[in-house]
Amino acid sequence: MLLSYRKLGGLRIALWAITLAVCLFLLVPIIFIAALSFGSSQWLIFPPPSWTTKWYHELFADPRWLQAAMTSAKVGLLSAALSVFLGLLASFALVRGSFPGRGILRALFLTPMVLPVIVFAVAIYALFLRIGLNGTLVGFVIAHTVLGFPFAVIAIVNSLEGFDKSIEDAAVLCGASPLQAKLKVTLPAIKLGLFSAAIFSFLISWDEVVVAIFMASPTLQTLPVRIWGALRQDLSPVIAAASTILVAFTLVVMALAALIRSRMNK
Amino acid sequence: MSQTTVAVERSPRRGRGIGPAVPAMLLLALFFIIPVFSLLLRSVTEPELGLQNYGELFATSTYARVFFNTFMVATVVTAVTLIIAYPVAWLLAIMPQRHANLVMAVILISMWTNLLARTYAWMVLLQRTGVINTTLMKLGLISEPLALVKNLTGVTIGMTYIMLPFVILPLYATIRAIDPSTLQAAALCGAGRWQAFRRVLLPLSAPGAAAGGLMVFVMSLGYFVTPALLGGASNMMLAEMIAQLVQSLLNWGLGSAAAFVLLVVTLAIYALQIRFFGGMR
Amino acid sequence: MNTMFLSIDKLRKTYGAVVAVDNVSLEVPEGEFLTFLGPSGSGKSTTLYALAGFDEPSAGDIRLRGASILSTPSHKRNIGMVFQRYTLFPHLSVHENIAFPLRVRHQSASDIAARVKAMLTLVRLEGYGARMPAHLSGGQQQRVALARALAYDPPVLLMDEPLSALDKKLREEIQIEIRRIHQETGVTILYVTHDQEEALRLSDRIAVFNHGRIEQVGTGRELYHNPATRFVAGFVGDSNFLEVADAEVRGERARITFPDGTTLANVPVHGGASASGTGELMVRPQSLRLSTDGSGLPVRVRDVTFLGDTSTVLFETAWGQEIWLRAAASQINNATPGANCHLEWNATESHWFA
Repeated sequence: MLLSYRKLGGLRIALWAITLAVCLFLLVPIIFIAALSFGSSQWLIFPPPSWTTKWYHELFADPRWLQAAMTSAKVGLLSAALSVFLGLLASFALVRGSFPGRGILRALFLTPMVLPVIVFAVAIYALFLRIGLNGTLVGFVIAHTVLGFPFAVIAIVNSLEGFDKSIEDAAVLCGASPLQAKLKVTLPAIKLGLFSAAIFSFLISWDEVVVAIFMASPTLQTLPVRIWGALRQDLSPVIAAASTILVAFTLVVMALAALIRSRMNK
Repeated sequence: MSQTTVAVERSPRRGRGIGPAVPAMLLLALFFIIPVFSLLLRSVTEPELGLQNYGELFATSTYARVFFNTFMVATVVTAVTLIIAYPVAWLLAIMPQRHANLVMAVILISMWTNLLARTYAWMVLLQRTGVINTTLMKLGLISEPLALVKNLTGVTIGMTYIMLPFVILPLYATIRAIDPSTLQAAALCGAGRWQAFRRVLLPLSAPGAAAGGLMVFVMSLGYFVTPALLGGASNMMLAEMIAQLVQSLLNWGLGSAAAFVLLVVTLAIYALQIRFFGGMR
Repeated sequence: MNTMFLSIDKLRKTYGAVVAVDNVSLEVPEGEFLTFLGPSGSGKSTTLYALAGFDEPSAGDIRLRGASILSTPSHKRNIGMVFQRYTLFPHLSVHENIAFPLRVRHQSASDIAARVKAMLTLVRLEGYGARMPAHLSGGQQQRVALARALAYDPPVLLMDEPLSALDKKLREEIQIEIRRIHQETGVTILYVTHDQEEALRLSDRIAVFNHGRIEQVGTGRELYHNPATRFVAGFVGDSNFLEVADAEVRGERARITFPDGTTLANVPVHGGASASGTGELMVRPQSLRLSTDGSGLPVRVRDVTFLGDTSTVLFETAWGQEIWLRAAASQINNATPGANCHLEWNATESHWFA
């Protein structure tokens, strides 16, 4: 039986071998980078001759890295907040509305996610050059909100669709005004979706490179832009250190998210 | 008891309700739709009105080569990811939950790890003095370091690595949704393992493979970061070419035309997908 | 006292060309348990939603104690409602769910605590206050929903098929609870269901809905024994409909002739039909007897089904229509498939519909 784990026989071993190989393939580069960031070799020789934290010292000694991280955090938080806010409103329209063209609007809201980022990056770059938003925080936040918004919509629409409108109706009959009912009953009920939306749109912004490369100025760079710039010059182990921190941060955010999510589910 | 009194019951007031979507529509109109359209407009207005940008794009061998490279890499990456992903998705769909959770965690971690970090890792791994070359030389399999980076080989390896999760996940979902009893039925009908695979499992999982494959193909066509870092200057792909035309050469007309070509191909593939597989995942 | 407690006056609701509620009028005295009974799509829920204020009627009026409530938004109508699906607020405990309407009314903490306690006692869920809805059974959830809807003493309680998601045994249990709570609180209840047994069990009066109209309003007995329309006759209780070839109306009674020539006198006439003509005769399976003297309607036995206390027998008339009777098993011992016999019944227990 091909879909029964216990009855796969020899095939099971073959499938496991491929799966383990793929898991290694997916994990090894990440571990490798983390290891190299602690290796002493300037030329990234592996295994490293000895272990050191000097690349991290070098990283933290350079204020430009810290600035870039701060910019990334600022842009990420602001665009996540905007994405969730706009996504929440839009989701109410998509789920509860009964206007013609609802399906088209839904597809439209998701297009920034499926269109090649390079097209959007060049387009928004052209616009921002013209209206003077290039190299500004506002420009960064707007561009990343466009990219994060579809993910927020997906997460919130999902949870709003799973929420029975009758519960909100019940709150209204209990005497809560329609707005009160939404704030006191609907929002708490879909908080998991809102939370996922926030995490997704934050990480989209935090890891975004392509638009950021166009948007950045020498004085305003996000972390990925700095790494990009450094990578184009050489493969210095400092980048390994920066990458490791970036990866660690993403892992921490994901772990925290999973933890909070399981708390909320209780 | 006329025909028209077939009533719709339980339909609480829903209103029209487009209002809350207006702010988001404004955002997308101002900062997504208008910029993209005005970019496309530039492809036929700069430096002067006409289609000469498109003519130049397709007539110049350098650009034609970029298109060829892009489609080649996208095709190879799609094929390789599909072949590698299928067994993984298959096993993932039927393995005991606690193992599946682990494998899933690996896939998700890799997917959410910063793209630059992962690309950087491959740059280091694949370089002339990198681990892969030194290991192969130590084993005596090669005498000279292989050129694995700054060419399309490097791009293909890096892209396959990046794209794998995007095929595994939809395939996994599709295979998981297949009722195992259909395969039991196939066995009772006398189908051997190979027959059952070819005539039942493969066709039933085809929609997932198609969805994942098309997604990877489309993403690969427009991918910027990995090809730009792992590829060589002489082996450019489309996205990097667009960026260069616009940013370094300031040739907005030609850059916009290339962007438009990419956009049309992408939308055409999505349209195909919706037409044949009903909706995008 | 000529203002009725609750009156629905020529209510009409259309969705485009579709008429969901068509000229429904109804008067409900205070404290009554009135059930809207009808198949799905008959307009009963739409009428209820108009009362709740979720559906704006296209025409007509709804008055509570003489004053129209249509311009009052839902949250100010002070109406209680229990929904078909479970609508407890998932993030709030049972206690907080029941307290919700009191909190939005800014009642004092001590009042709220006392009221919630009284409500939990009313629905027999003392000690469940701290539970979260997810940890309650379906029946318990609906009882909490009932407590929440009654917590603020609404003059009218609406119930929209509240038991349809529960299994049969639990449903009967909660039906008894609902009756008890109705008696204890004296609240006016409007109850929607498509289950005639539930309607008969619970209600003081039943309004039978069909195609957006009310076919008949009356007690369960009235509907059963004196159905005003063919639809009510078929929807409430079991029934046989026999083709009538000719009917001669004399006042309130008719003399009817079946296609095979058998005649029956003294049949009650319904639906204001005064003209003679063809039509259908309705007779309950329980009213039928096997005749012993060879008089009555000649039929042939098709099938006999033994059901323990009772048996049912399916017959075929001379013109090929099916008719079935239900009786104590002992009374129909001699019916065997293929046998020819005669059916008789008390003419006043059958009804002719033109």
